[in-house]
This record gives sequence, C-alpha cells and structure tokens, in this order.
Amino acid sequence: MKEAEDKCQQELVALKKEFEEFVYIVSHDIKSPMRAISNITTWIEEDLGAVENQEVLANLSLLKNRVNRMENMMNGLLELSRVDRVELEFYEVNISKMMANSIALLEPNSNVEFTLNTTLINENCLTLGAKLQKVILSVLDNAVRFHDKENRKVGVEVVETESDYEIKVSDNGPGIPEQVASKIFSIFYTVNSKDVVDTTGAGLAISCKIMKLVGGKIKYSAGINNGSIFTLIWPKIIILKN
Amino acid sequence: MNQKLVNILLVEDDEVDVMNVKRAFSKNNIMNPLFVAGNGVEALEMLENHIIPLPKIIILDINMPKMNGIEFLKIMRENEKLKNISVFVMTTSNEDSDKINAYNLNVAGYILKPLSFEKFLTSVATLKNFWQLCEL
Repeated sequence: MKEAEDKCQQELVALKKEFEEFVYIVSHDIKSPMRAISNITTWIEEDLGAVENQEVLANLSLLKNRVNRMENMMNGLLELSRVDRVELEFYEVNISKMMANSIALLEPNSNVEFTLNTTLINENCLTLGAKLQKVILSVLDNAVRFHDKENRKVGVEVVETESDYEIKVSDNGPGIPEQVASKIFSIFYTVNSKDVVDTTGAGLAISCKIMKLVGGKIKYSAGINNGSIFTLIWPKIIILKN
Repeated sequence: MNQKLVNILLVEDDEVDVMNVKRAFSKNNIMNPLFVAGNGVEALEMLENHIIPLPKIIILDINMPKMNGIEFLKIMRENEKLKNISVFVMTTSNEDSDKINAYNLNVAGYILKPLSFEKFLTSVATLKNFWQLCEL
C-alpha cells in the first residue's frame, strides 16, 4: 500500500515538473519565432516605403494583428496555467473600495452607466486580494467590451452572507445565446468571431479556475430583457491545498 | 564635445533578435561599435582572449545554447577584469526566478523583449540615455 502511494507521489512530482517545463517552453521558445514574425513584418513594411497597393497594406496589417492575437492567446494560456502558483498572498481588502476602484478603472471612455450597491456587515476581508481583483475586473470588462446598445448599463451588487460575498454583475447588453452558454468558461471560446470583437477569450476561463481554487463559484444566467448576469460566490474563508 | 563611444557587446543566439538590436540602434542613431556573440561560451572567449576591445556594456539574452545568460553572468562576476561591466538582460523570460537570478548578479537593467518592434525602439532609446552617461 505504502509502495503504491510512493509511486503515485513520484508520478505526481514528475508530472508537475513536466508541466512546468511545458509552460517555460511556451513562454520562451515559442515566443521567439512569434516575435521574429512580428518584427520582420514591421521591417518589410518600413523597407517597402510608400505602397500604393491597398491589398498589400491590408494583408500586412492583418498579419500583424494575427501575430498580436497569438501573443495574447499565449499569455492567456500562461496565466491560466499559473493561477494556482502565483499571487497567493492573503491581505486585507475593503470590498466596497475594490468594487468602486474596479469600476473607476473601466468607466472612462466606456460609455457605460455603472451602478454599485453593497450590503455588507464588515467592509474588510482578509482574502486573496489579487485573485478577487482579477475575477471582478474580468467580469466587468466583459460586460463593457461586448456591450452593443446605445443606452449601456452595468450594475454591480454585493451582498455579504454568513459564509460568502455574493457579487452580481448584470448588464443590458446582448446576452449569451442559450445553446452556447455552457461553453463560455472554456479557454479561447468567444461567442462571436474574434474579428467582430478583438478579444482573446481567456478571461472567463482564468476566472473560473480562480473560483475553483478559492472554493467559490461563478455562474452565468440570462438577465431579464436579454443581458447577462454573472454571479460570483466568493468564500470568506479560503483554504488552499498544499 | 568629442565623445568617445563605448563598445557594446550583444550576447544573443537568435539571428532575428540580433537584427532587431542593429535596426533599433540605427533608428535611434546609436553609433556605438556593436560586437555580437552567439552564446556565453563565445562571449567569454571573445572577452578573455581580447578578440574584441573590452566593452563597457553587455546586452545579454538568457535563453541560449551551450552557456545561458545566467551562467555567463556568474562566471563574469567572478572575473576581476570583467566584473565591472554593466549588463542589461534582454529576454522573453517573464519568470520571477530568472529576474531574481539576474538581479542577484548585479544587472543594470532587465528588458523584456516586446512583441512589437516599435516598443523595442522605445526601450533602446531609454538605454541610449544611460549609455551616454557612461561615455562622459
């Protein structure tokens, strides 16, 4: 029995090492040729000088855009793989302030009217602050980024219960078609083509992994009159394994 | 003012990255003599055997075959003649461990290779200001 356990442990250590090597390869070895493509494209553009052929110009611009997208995807993949390894510090967070600051970060130039309601017993909470911030910003950013209406509204509601903070972010945007709602937490999944809204599709996958790490929940539900509602259940007490 | 331009050694194995630095130099009107070594072993050989004039500045990649940047830095810092050269690490590595290792070996700067050439130009322009101080 002990032998089997030891073997399992050894396999786990080997797998972890392999995974870390994989992440390192993605971040270094694969990024180099990608950067080369991007740089050489710029040089070709420069060396060509004034180009009259619109098709050439459009293709060069497409090429740069796609390499850029590839870099963003690579960074998203890296971030996802590092969720349970980095920024694991507990510190005191003022929940209301964090919400207000997150909104303030996105509000300028967003054309969105934000509302914030909090029902808190204790404003402060000792928690994985960087992780909470990441999830909140990601959900808020989605609400702003995919909005398609003239009269844009995003509401944030925080309610403290005995064991959790329930954070609800609702918008009057386009919502998510019912048949694809189950896919939105998969990495790189985007409801529309990435050409419609230039986005990586990593935010919700990373948020979902963070919520699993802290023992919380993230869920999507359709709002009244279309729109989306994202509900986060963030536990007050977080116990990290290992 | 008659300035003497300091020599710069670039230790980098990727051909396109070498072109990148050369191109950024010429765009920023940086005329300093630039020498290139393909890895740590080659760089040490050039420095120890006086194949090139002693540089005041080294731009160092981390991920290289034969001898990587951190190994090269370690050996360099133990060498009386080479230990005072200013080293700028220039790499794709955003790993904390690489940054900590580099700073422990007393580097003047840590430049993350950006995807776009335009961003790299800005970094090199900043470096130029520092190098000019070395030339005074």
